[in-house]
Amino acid sequence: MFGSMAESTGILEGLLHPSLYVKTAWGVMAFLALISYLGTRKMERVPRGLQNILEMAVEGLYNFIGGIVGEKKAPKYFPFIATFFLFILISNYIGLLPFAGHEGPYVPPTSTISVTAALAIIVFLATQFFGIAEKGLGYFKHFITPFIFMLPLNILEQLVRPLSLSMRLYGNIYGHELVVGTFMGLVPMLIPVVFNLLGVLTGAIQAVVFTLLTSSYIGEAVHDDHH
Amino acid sequence: MSLVAGLIAIGAGIAVGFGAIGSGIGQGIAAGKAFEAMARQPEVRGTVQTFLIIALAFMETLTIYGLVIAFMLLNKMS
Repeated sequence: MFGSMAESTGILEGLLHPSLYVKTAWGVMAFLALISYLGTRKMERVPRGLQNILEMAVEGLYNFIGGIVGEKKAPKYFPFIATFFLFILISNYIGLLPFAGHEGPYVPPTSTISVTAALAIIVFLATQFFGIAEKGLGYFKHFITPFIFMLPLNILEQLVRPLSLSMRLYGNIYGHELVVGTFMGLVPMLIPVVFNLLGVLTGAIQAVVFTLLTSSYIGEAVHDDHH
Repeated sequence: MSLVAGLIAIGAGIAVGFGAIGSGIGQGIAAGKAFEAMARQPEVRGTVQTFLIIALAFMETLTIYGLVIAFMLLNKMS
């Protein structure tokens, strides 16, 4: 099932011999950590170079997420949501590097359902946790509004969210990889470049869509009813 | 190749093909309306463009669901 899940074995086996996806995910994390370290090592009042780029990215993300979650809640939930965006964006862009592929030295971690499902489940659990932490038992009130009859539907809606989140990301990235691979087999020159250009767009849009949905779910869960 | 494999292949084709019809129509309508809005009021171009791309990504997802189903079906075949 799901093509790329063929080598699923025991947990111990997975820990001892991590798959290419896991290794690439570690690479992405190391890259993000390194960039953050280098960018913030010698911080200046007037930013230059890498610090300037990072500040621009963080500020843009903050405005985007703050606009959805709400200005008041934004500082608390921004790091969590922005990390998803950065990780997914860099992961998607791994596929644009030369030699990337399912047998190659690296592969986009988001092109397997296991990674995207893990991300979506984290979002699901975090949404419930933040909701309860923010509002206590009052969080469960929105499950039974407007009527108690809506309870099954609301629960179903919550459970469908991680499914659609993970399927969307996995399908888009894996589908794109497949299209590029197919055309690479048909025409090895020039034509795949067009699809890779499309991949730049797809990778960014899917990262934005995942972040948008995550922030709207969390924003909805922690939203104040008083105003 | 058995009859079952053939039926699975047809099913995979239908999953993507029919899924594409709906999102194609939806994307066409959305893009047309966005262009109308841009033509009428060129200064909102940037905002409309951003929201248009996000909306198109959501519509495209419906076809992608069909694609995922098609992958699953094709894996059943071998």
